[in-house]
Amino acid sequence: MSYYAPTSLGDVWPLLAEGEARVVAGGTDLFPTQGDGPPPSALLDISRVDGLRGIDHDDDGWRIGGATTWSDIVAAPLPPAFDGLKAAALQVGSVQIQNVGTLAGNLCNASPAADGVPPLLTLEAEVALTSAGGTRRLTLTNFLRGVRQTALVPGELLTALHIPRQPTGALSSFVKLGSRRYLVISIAMVAAQIWLDEAGRIGGVRVAVGACSPVARRLFGLEQSLIGLRPSDLVSFSMASDALDTLSPIDDVRGSAEYRRAAVERLIRDALGQAVERSDG
Amino acid sequence: MPDVSMVVNGEARSGDVEGRTLLVDFLREGLGLTGTHVGCDTSQCGACVVHVDGQAVKSCTIFALEADRAEVTTIEGIAGPDGSLSPMQKSFRDHHGLQCGFCTPGMVMTALKLLENNAKPSEAEVREGLKGNFCRCTGYQNIVRTILAASGQDIPVTSVE
Ligand SMILES: Cc1cc2nc3c(=O)[nH]c(=O)nc-3n(C[C@H](O)[C@H](O)[C@H](O)COP(=O)(O)OP(=O)(O)OC[C@H]3O[C@@H](n4cnc5c(N)ncnc54)[C@H](O)[C@@H]3O)c2cc1C
Ligand code: FES
Ligand code: FES
Repeated sequence: MSYYAPTSLGDVWPLLAEGEARVVAGGTDLFPTQGDGPPPSALLDISRVDGLRGIDHDDDGWRIGGATTWSDIVAAPLPPAFDGLKAAALQVGSVQIQNVGTLAGNLCNASPAADGVPPLLTLEAEVALTSAGGTRRLTLTNFLRGVRQTALVPGELLTALHIPRQPTGALSSFVKLGSRRYLVISIAMVAAQIWLDEAGRIGGVRVAVGACSPVARRLFGLEQSLIGLRPSDLVSFSMASDALDTLSPIDDVRGSAEYRRAAVERLIRDALGQAVERSDG
Repeated sequence: MPDVSMVVNGEARSGDVEGRTLLVDFLREGLGLTGTHVGCDTSQCGACVVHVDGQAVKSCTIFALEADRAEVTTIEGIAGPDGSLSPMQKSFRDHHGLQCGFCTPGMVMTALKLLENNAKPSEAEVREGLKGNFCRCTGYQNIVRTILAASGQDIPVTSVE
């Protein structure tokens, strides 16, 4: 097996173009799934590429480099709209996993239970996919095509996540249900973002649910139905009977579809409640 | 085979590895540093935790080549040169923080970083900080007490001493 660790993007393209090299960032998805099978014929380690790691901010929003780790997110000064993403970061495995595991790796691995996806959906993140020929930008929804399927084509690297400016005063949260408290794959998880209007009512809401469909989803219908409510209504509002219809939870080792459906309703209320609570804190 | 060099416990070390050689295998088999343990093949148990460039990582989850030119500290680098125990190791001994000892090297390496980042953690923060380290023997209670004691805080006097 060959192992490449280029330090400039320019050196990445020829290696990627040959098509045999498997990209590795933190390796925390790649290694455990590798098992005792034969290793890939070549590995391309992107963790040393200059400029690929870190978070920048300008008038249009934030750019999170394609080799940025979960620990980088936790340590970064980010506004409350990112509290949900930070909460998710702190729940990805344990600190040793967060120190090396990356957001881009979490997305490219395309697990239905990837904890990064719901908060990034509520942040309306886009991904930049770059190859020797240039860069294209896709919404997260267009990037994540299905279970373990993404829009990446051979020769492309996810070089950055772009997060647009967030609504003024946006608050956010993330709640995860696992079979135990720590180091656990999500049975279901919910990210929420809320902002209030001048009258103190819900001016806008974004809710995304993971592990209950092949790819995590925003619940646009539910979001609409919450606009104009008072924050205190969020715990007890009556959820439309079809609010969760776009989800398609499955039965698996971690839980039944029925359990997931019941749990998600509760998780949504908890996530919304936690997001507004942050307004007084 | 590619050549790898790194500073391990303050000493420059190098060796030939295969591209697919894990850091933990290089440390154990290449350098004979068998204090770092391997308890699983799913990156979960934390028996293999070492410090790479100042961060706690699972050495079964990175290739030796990824640590090329890095500063690595293993459990062998924690005691004094004369073998005297470091305060954290002493605390594990004094507070019965180990039984079989298999998880202990990883626990010590994780605990050191935990206190470096948070000098006076609460009990809950210690438990949270240990979520990537499994112990099959102690039930964790005494490990938590060990770390609280090592941080210079009072610990409840209830259990075995
Ligand atoms: C013990 C343990 C616990 C875990 N717990 C959680 C958890 O609670 N929640 C969760 O969501 N995940 C969890 N994970 C999974 C994993 O840690 C995360 O998904 C992590 O974010 C993956 O990032 P990475 O950099 O390690 O990816 P890698 O393993 O390096 O890569 C993953 C995949 O993405 C590709 N890739 C990586 N970066 C790029 C890029 N920039 N461009 C193109 N392709 C790329 C790789 O080729 C590979 O196919 C856990 C893993 C372990 C081992
Ligand atoms: S051996 Fe590394 S986590 Fe178990
Ligand atoms: S002391 Fe035996 S595994 Fe922890």
